[in-house]
Amino acid sequence: MPEHSVLVVDDEPIVRESIRDWLTEAGYAVATTETGEQALEMVKTQDFSVLVVDLRLPGKTGLAVLEAIKAERPWIKSIVITAYPSSETAQEARRLGAVDYLLKPFAPDDLERLINDTLAAIPPEATVATVERPIAEAPAAEAITVRGTFAIDKEDLRSLYEGLAASAKVVGPTAKQGKYVFRKIKRFEELRLDYDVTVQPPANFLRPAKETLLTLKLGGAPGAEPVLDESPRVLFGVHPYDIRAIELLDEVFMTAHPDPNYITRRRNTLIIGVDCLHPSANSFAPSMGTHQTETGFDLLLTDIGSTVMVTTGSERGAKLLSEYTQAREPNDNEIATQKALRDAAAEEYPLSLEIARERLPKLLEDHYDDPYWEERSESCLSCGSCIMVCPTCFCFDVKDEVSLDLKGAVRVRQWDGCMLTDFAKVSGGENFRHGKADRFRHRIFRKGKYVLERYGIVGCVGCGRCISACLPEIASPVEAFNTIARRAKAEAARRLIGKVELQPDLYAPQPAKLVRVEPLAANEKVFEFQFDNEKSLGHRPGQFVEVSMAGIGEAPISISSSPTRDGSFELAIRNVGNVTRALHGSKEGALIGIRGPFGNGFPIESLEWKDLLLVAGGIGLFPLRSLVQYVIDCRERFGRVTLLFGARSPEERVFKTELSQWEENSDIEFQETVDRGDEAWEGNVGVITTLIPAVEITPAKTMAVIVGPPIMYRFVIGELKKRGLADEQIILSLERRMKCGVGKCGHCQINGVYVCQEGPVFTLAQLRNMREAV
Amino acid sequence: MSKPKVAFFDFTCCEGCQLDTLNIQGEELVDLLEAVDIVEFREVASGKAESYDIAFVEGSITRESEIPRLKKIRERAKIVIALGACAHIGGVNCLKNHLAMDEALKIVYGECAKDYDTIPTRPIDAVVPVDYVVPGCPINTGEFLRIVKELLLGKTPELPTYPVCVECKMAGNICVFELGKTCLGPVTRAGCNAICVTAGRHCWGCRGLVDEPNLNAQHDILEKHGLSVEEVLEKFKIYNTCTTEEKK
Repeated sequence: MPEHSVLVVDDEPIVRESIRDWLTEAGYAVATTETGEQALEMVKTQDFSVLVVDLRLPGKTGLAVLEAIKAERPWIKSIVITAYPSSETAQEARRLGAVDYLLKPFAPDDLERLINDTLAAIPPEATVATVERPIAEAPAAEAITVRGTFAIDKEDLRSLYEGLAASAKVVGPTAKQGKYVFRKIKRFEELRLDYDVTVQPPANFLRPAKETLLTLKLGGAPGAEPVLDESPRVLFGVHPYDIRAIELLDEVFMTAHPDPNYITRRRNTLIIGVDCLHPSANSFAPSMGTHQTETGFDLLLTDIGSTVMVTTGSERGAKLLSEYTQAREPNDNEIATQKALRDAAAEEYPLSLEIARERLPKLLEDHYDDPYWEERSESCLSCGSCIMVCPTCFCFDVKDEVSLDLKGAVRVRQWDGCMLTDFAKVSGGENFRHGKADRFRHRIFRKGKYVLERYGIVGCVGCGRCISACLPEIASPVEAFNTIARRAKAEAARRLIGKVELQPDLYAPQPAKLVRVEPLAANEKVFEFQFDNEKSLGHRPGQFVEVSMAGIGEAPISISSSPTRDGSFELAIRNVGNVTRALHGSKEGALIGIRGPFGNGFPIESLEWKDLLLVAGGIGLFPLRSLVQYVIDCRERFGRVTLLFGARSPEERVFKTELSQWEENSDIEFQETVDRGDEAWEGNVGVITTLIPAVEITPAKTMAVIVGPPIMYRFVIGELKKRGLADEQIILSLERRMKCGVGKCGHCQINGVYVCQEGPVFTLAQLRNMREAV
Repeated sequence: MSKPKVAFFDFTCCEGCQLDTLNIQGEELVDLLEAVDIVEFREVASGKAESYDIAFVEGSITRESEIPRLKKIRERAKIVIALGACAHIGGVNCLKNHLAMDEALKIVYGECAKDYDTIPTRPIDAVVPVDYVVPGCPINTGEFLRIVKELLLGKTPELPTYPVCVECKMAGNICVFELGKTCLGPVTRAGCNAICVTAGRHCWGCRGLVDEPNLNAQHDILEKHGLSVEEVLEKFKIYNTCTTEEKK
C-alpha cells in the first residue's frame, strides 16, 4: 500500500493519464479528475498528500482550487502545472500556498523529484486519515469568493449593468454601421456581448487619444498643476486579448516612474471581461496566448445560453456579484458547456503563427537586414492607422495649448507613434527613422521583440485590428512573423547539414615549441612559444589562447606579447590550476598544444590617435603587456601614454626588467606602487587609485584601459569617472571561464553575452546592461 | 508692447474662410480682439493701413490684375499667411486649369467672355513668398486661433505632418473604406480633426497632401476599392490639381 497519494487535476486527458502512469510507476497512489469542483469534492472524503493542479480548468480555475484547499485542507501540498505561465499567476499561486509552479511540458523525473522533495518536507502527523463528509452547502451570497466560477441567469446581467450604471459611466461594445465600437451604454439592450472585435480597443478609456496632463500659468513664476481624471468607469464586455493588452499597459505605466494619469484612471475603472466566442476573421489571439485569460479582470463572463458563467477576479468583482445577482454554484452540465464553447471558439481563429511566439525575438534579431522590410513597406502610406487602433501601442506626443488671453495653458498628450514620419525627428531636422522601411520594421520589432524584452509581456495580443485598418494590407504582424519564419526555414534548409564546411580541427590544439621559460615571481613564469617555421599566431593584443596539456586538460590564457614582435609569442602564467601546474613543470623544448587566438582583443582602432591611460593591477599586467608593447612599437599612432601598475608587494611585481625599462623610456609615462612596501622598496606605497589624481588627463581625448582583479575595477572606475571619463572611454578586460573558446560551452557567459566571442574586452558602456559583469 | 496690426485680404474665393473667423464665438472673439489690432478687414470695416504685422490672405490668383496687388501686400506685411485652401493650394478654382482659358471663360460668361481676362489658377505662394498656412476649405477656426496665439508667443506655427487617418482613428470613426466608400484621408494633411468623416462623409483632400504622400499606393487602394483611373484622378482634381501637378 503506497504511503502517500497524489491527486492530479487536469482537463487534458493525455496530461492527466501520463502523470498518473509516471507516478504510479514511481510508487504513489494516484487519483485523477478533470475539474476543480470534482477535486474539491474528492479532498473532502479522501486523504491526499499532494495535489497536482492545472491552472486552466473549466469552471473553477486552478487558483480557485488552491484557495479552497488552503482554506479547507491546508496540509495538502499543491504543485501548479501550466502551459500558460505568467508572473501574475505564479505569484498568486505562491501566495495561495503552492510549493512549486511547473511549466508544461515537463519531464516525468522533474515532477517525481519535486513530489519526493515536497513529501520529504511534510511531517508525518500532518495528514488525517478520514474526513467527515459535509452536507452540500446552499449557494449563499457569502460563498462568493475571489477566483471562483459561478452561474447567473442572463437576466442578472441587466441588474448588474443597472447597479453599475447608477454610480459610474458604463462603457461597452455596441453595434455601429455593421461594426462594433466601445461607447457609453445608455440602455442595457445596446450592449452586444456577442461581438467579434471592436474598431477601437477598450484600452482607449485608460490612455485616451488626447488628455490633459497639467495646467500651466504663463509669465511670472511658473506654476504647473497636475490634472487627473478620477471619474468612475466600468469597461463592460472586454475580450481576453484586450484584457491582456491592458495588463501590458499596467506594466508600462505602473512600474518605474508610475504614470499618475494612467494609474488614476486604472484605479477608478472596473473591468468586466467576456469570453470571445465569435472570433474576428483577422484575429490570431490563440497564437499570442491571449484568447483566454485568468487575470486582469474584476469579473469574467461566459455566455453559455440562458445562463452566464461568471469568474470572479477581485474582491470588488466578488462584491458586485453578490450585490447585484443571484449567483449560484454551476452544475456539471454548465461547466462542460462552458469548456465546450471555449474550445470550439479557440478552433475558429483563421490566422495563426507558424512558430512558437517565444522564438520571435531571436527570429527578428536574425532578420534585421532582411529585404522583407523594404519590400513590404513599399506601399505604406505612413498613415498611422495600424498604431492608432492597436491596444498595445502607448507612445504619445506632448504639447501646450494656450488660452487666447495668453495667460494660461494646458499641457496635453495625444497619441503618436513610430509609423508616423516625424516621430523620431529632432528640432535640428535630423530624422532618426527616416525611411518607411525603418519605421515599418521598428513597429514589427516592437510587437515581437522590443516590448517583450523590456516589459516581459509580448507586444502584440493578436486582436487583428491593424490588419483590418491597413488599406495597403501590409500591417499584419502575424503575416510578417510568418514570412520571416518561412525565410528562416528556407535558409536553414539551404544550410543543409552536409553543406556546412567542416572544421575537424576546431577542438584540436596545434603543437607549439616551448623555447624559453623565465620565472617572473614566486608563482609566475613567462613562456615563449614558437610554431614550426616561426608561423605567426596571428593575434591581436588582448586576445587569448587555450593551452592544452594532454591528459590534464585545457585552460584559457591571455597572450602577453604584442603581434608586432613576430616569430614567437609569450604567455605569462600564474601556477594556479592543473593545466598551469603541468605547464610550469615543462622544460624548454617541450611541445605544448595551443588553440586560438580567441576573443576580440583591445579595440586598437578606437585607441589610435588618442591619449592612453593604461592601468594594470597585479597579473592584470599579463594581458595588458601585449598592448603596452604594441603601443611602444607603434608609438607615433598614439598621443600621451601613461601606464600605471600596482602590485601587492615588491616581491609580487612581475616583468621587473621591463618595468624598469618602461620607467626609463621617455616614450611613455610610467608610475607604479605597491600596497605594502618592505625595507628595500623606495617607490610609492599605497593602492593603485592613489596614483590617479597625479595623472594628467584630457577627458576629451583619453581612453583608459584597465586590467586587474574585480575589486580593483570598482575603485579605478570610480576614480576615472571623477576625472571626467565617460563609460565609452573606459575599457576593461574580463576574466571568465572560457572553456571552449568558440561560443558553445556556455561557461564564460555574462548574462546573454559570450565573453569568448564578444569579449573579453568591453567598454564600460557595453557592460551597463550586463548585471553579472563587474 | 503695442498690439500687432492684423489685416485680412481676399482674392479669388468665396470669402468663407474670413467669414469663419467672424464665426469665432463670444469670449474667444473678445480675447482675440484684445490681443490684436485689426487694421483691414473688408467684411467688417473699411479702414486702410500702411503696414501690417500679419496679413491673412484668402483666395487664389486667377487674373493678371491680382498679381501686383498681392505683391504690394507682401511688401507691407511682416508675415503673410495663406488663409484657406484657395490661397494655400489653389483650391477648387484649380478645376479650370484642366481647360483652355478661353474655353473656361466661355463656359462661365458665355457671350460676355470677351469682357473678362483669366489666367490659370495659382496658389499665392506661386506669386509671393508665404510664411505660414492655415489650410482647409473652409479653415478650422481652432487651428486659425492656435496659429495666431503661437505667433503672439513667438513660437513657429507648425502643421501636422501626418494624414487625416490619425485624427479619424482618434475620433473613433469607422474607416470609410470599410463602409465600402473611398476617401483621400490617407494622403491628406491632418489638422481638421477628420471633421468630414466624423460627420458621415469622406475626405476630399482640401487641406492638401502630406509632405511625403505615397500617391502610388493611394491610387492602388482607390482602384482596389472600385474606382477607375479616371475616377481616381477626378478625386484628386477637386482640391489638389495644383499640388499633384507639382508632384509629377
